[in-house]
Amino acid sequence: MSDQNRLAPPFGSLIDRQQPISFRFEKQNYQGFAGDNIASALAANQQWLLSRSFKYHRPRGLLTMAGQDANTMIQLSSDPNALADRIAISDGLEVMAQNYSGSLNRDRGALLGLFSKFLPVGFYYKAFFKPRGMWEKWAPLIRKKAGLGVINQDYQVEYYDKQYQFYDVAVIGAGPAGLCAALEAAKTGAEVLLVDENASLGGSLNYSRLDAEGNTARVLRQALVAEVEANDNITAMTSATCNGWFADNWLPIICGKRLYKVRAKKTILCVGSLEQQAVFHNNDLPGVIMSSAAQRLMHLYGVRPGKTAVVVTGNNEGYATALDLLDAGVQVNAIIDLRQQPEYDAIAEYAVSKGLEVKTGYAVYAANKDSGGLHLGSVEVREIMSQGICAAEGNTILCDTLCMSVGYTPTYQLICQGGGRLSYDDTSAMFTLTNCPEDCQIAGSVNSHWLLDDVMADARRAAMIATNELDLSSATVPAAIALSQQQSPNFGWPIFAHPKGKEFVDFDEDLQIADIINATRDGYEHVQLVKRYSTCGMGPSQGRHSALATARLVAAATDKTVAQTGVTTARPPFSAEHLGHSAGRSFYPAQRSNMHYRHLEAGAQMLQAGAWYRPAYYGSSDQRQDWINNEVNNVRNNVGLVDVSTLGGIEVRGPDAPEFLNRFYTFGFLKQPVGKARYALLTNEAGVIIDDGVACRFTEQHYYVTATTGGVGNVYQSMLKWNAQWCLDVDIANVTSAYSAVNIAGPNARRVLAKVCSDIDLDSQAFPYMGVREGNVAGIPARVIRVGFVGELGYEVHIPQHCGEALWDALIETGAEFSIKPFGIEAQRILRLEKGHIIIGQDTDAMSNPNEVNMGWAIAKKKPFFVGGRSIQELNKTPLKRCQVGFVVNDLKAPIPLESHLVLDGDRMTGRVTSCNYSPTLNKPVGLAFVEPDQAEAGSHFTIKSSGGVMVEAMVVKLPFYDPQTQRQEL
Amino acid sequence: MKLLTCPLNGLRNITEFTYGGEYHPMPDHQQASSREWAEHVFFHDNSAGVVIEWWCHSASSYWFLAERNTISDKILRTFPASEIFNQRIDFVAVPEATPTTKGESQ
Amino acid sequence: MSPSIDIVTTALRRSQLYRRHIEMGAVFESLGDGTAGDSALVSYYGANNHQQELTQAQHLGLADLSTLPRMGFKGLGTPDWAAGQGIELPAQPNQATLQSDGTLVARLSQSELLLASNLNGLSESIASTTQSTPPERVYSLPRSDSHSWLVLCGSRAAETLAKVCGVDLRPHKFANGEVAQTSIAKINGVLVRNDLGETLSYCIFSDSSSVEFLWDSLHDAMAEFKGAAIGIQALRDC
Repeated sequence: MSDQNRLAPPFGSLIDRQQPISFRFEKQNYQGFAGDNIASALAANQQWLLSRSFKYHRPRGLLTMAGQDANTMIQLSSDPNALADRIAISDGLEVMAQNYSGSLNRDRGALLGLFSKFLPVGFYYKAFFKPRGMWEKWAPLIRKKAGLGVINQDYQVEYYDKQYQFYDVAVIGAGPAGLCAALEAAKTGAEVLLVDENASLGGSLNYSRLDAEGNTARVLRQALVAEVEANDNITAMTSATCNGWFADNWLPIICGKRLYKVRAKKTILCVGSLEQQAVFHNNDLPGVIMSSAAQRLMHLYGVRPGKTAVVVTGNNEGYATALDLLDAGVQVNAIIDLRQQPEYDAIAEYAVSKGLEVKTGYAVYAANKDSGGLHLGSVEVREIMSQGICAAEGNTILCDTLCMSVGYTPTYQLICQGGGRLSYDDTSAMFTLTNCPEDCQIAGSVNSHWLLDDVMADARRAAMIATNELDLSSATVPAAIALSQQQSPNFGWPIFAHPKGKEFVDFDEDLQIADIINATRDGYEHVQLVKRYSTCGMGPSQGRHSALATARLVAAATDKTVAQTGVTTARPPFSAEHLGHSAGRSFYPAQRSNMHYRHLEAGAQMLQAGAWYRPAYYGSSDQRQDWINNEVNNVRNNVGLVDVSTLGGIEVRGPDAPEFLNRFYTFGFLKQPVGKARYALLTNEAGVIIDDGVACRFTEQHYYVTATTGGVGNVYQSMLKWNAQWCLDVDIANVTSAYSAVNIAGPNARRVLAKVCSDIDLDSQAFPYMGVREGNVAGIPARVIRVGFVGELGYEVHIPQHCGEALWDALIETGAEFSIKPFGIEAQRILRLEKGHIIIGQDTDAMSNPNEVNMGWAIAKKKPFFVGGRSIQELNKTPLKRCQVGFVVNDLKAPIPLESHLVLDGDRMTGRVTSCNYSPTLNKPVGLAFVEPDQAEAGSHFTIKSSGGVMVEAMVVKLPFYDPQTQRQEL
Repeated sequence: MKLLTCPLNGLRNITEFTYGGEYHPMPDHQQASSREWAEHVFFHDNSAGVVIEWWCHSASSYWFLAERNTISDKILRTFPASEIFNQRIDFVAVPEATPTTKGESQ
Repeated sequence: MSPSIDIVTTALRRSQLYRRHIEMGAVFESLGDGTAGDSALVSYYGANNHQQELTQAQHLGLADLSTLPRMGFKGLGTPDWAAGQGIELPAQPNQATLQSDGTLVARLSQSELLLASNLNGLSESIASTTQSTPPERVYSLPRSDSHSWLVLCGSRAAETLAKVCGVDLRPHKFANGEVAQTSIAKINGVLVRNDLGETLSYCIFSDSSSVEFLWDSLHDAMAEFKGAAIGIQALRDC
């Protein structure tokens, strides 16, 4: 392979030169090596241009080589906005650039750059504010130009999952600090997790030059990594991103297609720092890169950053980079040192001794394109006259690479998510972090330590504190490491305005110096407002490279200190994550009754009500209404069977059982006879109806109370909470799942039941309406409750859960001679509506008190107390504002009103429909609605605004619609 | 995600729990004025500082109380409800019954 | 007081997972006393390869014991009464002990017990407590019906559970005989570590109506580690 741009080992520690890999970029074939990411492999092939910028479609190339910037966002087949300097190449990988029209090299959208003067900060707010509707017109065009990647709508679902993990100490970041912290903690026997987002442990030791000869880092890394790998107490995860810090050290760590939900007792964030760019004209040209990016290219991937280079630096690290470049055979044309009088360390002195041209007190004022127009060709350097101001003239130095080494920002995101505060030290020109959350520390360069020995000592110290607090050690913790006396790596003002602008502060959003200054002049002085107005820091890299420069610019423009200005709020996630990481392994529990498969076999259409699967009706969906009507008619005229296993069931037992129910429900229960069921209506403390059921008294001290399917969980919890306060001598147990239940209803119900139940006298005198009995049904021990569930003679049969299917089979078989038929919840709802029974939560809302829904009869008036009693008393003092009525629609051609359709009085909205359905029994739509009290008189009419705005006349009728004397259920 | 110590089940993710609202004693439901009662039902102190709250461990349906600092969101202590509620509460009959129009019938 | 009807019934006893088992080629056996029909328990799946299922159980297996008897009691009188019935009580809530007849007794609170039979479905503790009439302030709970009973066992069981449960259940953090009442795949349940000989094993008791969902969720979580369903024979052999 013709890889003229590769360096010989030991450069290229991550790549395996024996394993070539072919992939495609912009439909051209390329080759790289195993271990390469897309950006490094393309760089090895001299392909520097990777994408076009968001707003002006400017050519962009790699910047950090660390997956921290938006310049490297590329399109994979089903993955937009992937980072080229993160994604490993693989055979056959198809990579496309993003955000261009025409071709990447000749992007028609780049013309927009010419109009940048007419696209000032806040352009969209200003231009489309008036007239109304203007934005809607322009938005599609603008969005098309300003888009990023493209979503593949033929995306194949992939398997993502999640896993919990538990550690004593989680160390985030595996640079020199992280490695030392992990080793120190592991010594005490602590279970340690060590996480790094890069492919290889060691952080900056992988690429930094820590001594003149350039050996220290490599040797130290090998030693520390070997020690970590040999330590059983340390779990090391690479290519894994800790994407947030949540309360009590809850850490989402993304690795591959798995989201680890890590709970650590202690967290040590050794997350390092992010190198910052210098701000000058055309600082975004491909070829202008971070100093650390050049080092990563060479050391990790064996890629030469260019042929001729200039280093612009505000610290001594720039000199180390220059030495690396020399080692890689790059011609270093100059070191432009922003400092007037640099204090050299040994490395810098060594570099100077190599005879490199050094200009101190100079800045790179502008970058110029090469003849192709897409890459750096030269830089213009000028003397710095005062802060940010350069001499009127300078000179030009040819180079295809410019390495920027002007300072760092601590990787503050995770700490600030946890409540950490960012301050600014004017002397070191650097952000510093304080106020770490409890059980969380920072160590290393994120904690403002720069000398290797300090970094490692700081990390060990943090680990000691952590393990001491965990009682795993009792080490004497050394005093906090004093901040280094060494010159800060940050140069205070690496920002140089240019008459032609294009000095980018934020690459993601193409924001220049003037945009930030003008935002403050437009009145948005606070940094949070600057962000929202200018969109600075809103892009994919979330201000990693713009926050510091923005803070400095805003501070200067508003006469504040940088510390006062600060940065915008850091929120999770730290880096973009796939939706799959959130969606993977989600649990949506499903509940099935014991008779579930019998319903399926009978052709039921199932629907999910809450978590429960329930039969809606039995039969094909094309004749839905016919099946439902038949089911209703069969119950009214013959006998039907419905699975009510989903009904809640609660045992209330003990000496105080009656007293408890008397306090909990609205009705009276003290005098309820054994062998009887009583309606149980539940209100909350505000007097609002929240559930209902029946309370069956089987013995003096034993009630079995039913509750609604969706409500039983809350009813049960509420019972326990009240009794935690009342301390009554009662036991409360939720036995919902322990019982299967059916309701057998219709004029023939008794005859069917009698065939399989010999030990209960089913005679209407012996077992009257609202009676409860225990006995055997089809040989199964059963609780039988005679309720008017659907307004016909009916029995609810509750049996042990596992016998559900056996009971179902027995009743269907026995009932065959009476043509028994199962019915689903659609029929059930119609049957109950015909009887005017309300459904809590559908016919009631969060304000419904019993009087509004004609349930005053269910309120005991003489009880000393019940939950909601006092509130109902209060409500009774004021006239009703609305009440529920039954209505019929006599016009059979009118569209049937639906839930929530409005009730009108002229133009005035006076209420709404809560339930409405066609009643096969009455042969017309019947429903319930909230109306104003003066609309409630039986026989009066009101208007419903039905589907499509059609006005439908409804007539109020007295409830129930069917069998007004309620005789049928008492047969 | 926060952790919460259940007095019965120990330290658990807070998603295992149901919040039961602020704890404040119920006023005498017969003697309280309408305003006092309305405040009890509808108003929440929402104080900045240490509050006592009801929490329920869902899997075991165990109710307990927690002291939490609403400024720092730090949970200072959790304890069984029996620390506060250690004897049976009784309600005396209404001295003067409201006249009823309908009896207890269905 | 009346114990009501939560006594184990003699009606045909099949697991809610019966159809899942059939699909997987289960071969069934009857329960100890034979009254529950002959398709009560999955004996093994597919060909009767003892050694293979045993190896699977030791590696990662999932078994359904939902048809084996269990019982619950709670109420202030429970600890004294149960001790009087000869049950050896765990000292603290959220601990479990194995009785001499192999019955597992988990203490869910100061005054609540869960009893689960031995692998032969014959439990004297359950039989005797069920037959005797509990005194005042002892209340029976129909655990055979309210809860399903799955066993997840083998050396990879803890890792599997880490995908569905937020409690640290690793063997060195969750000792044999410990109990966790928690959420498993978003279903509330009782999880008891109850090793089978040398084999790491967890009993999961949870809402019977959700067991198919839990079964499927556990299979999905096990797939990565090549877990599989196993019959009760393999558990007995462990």
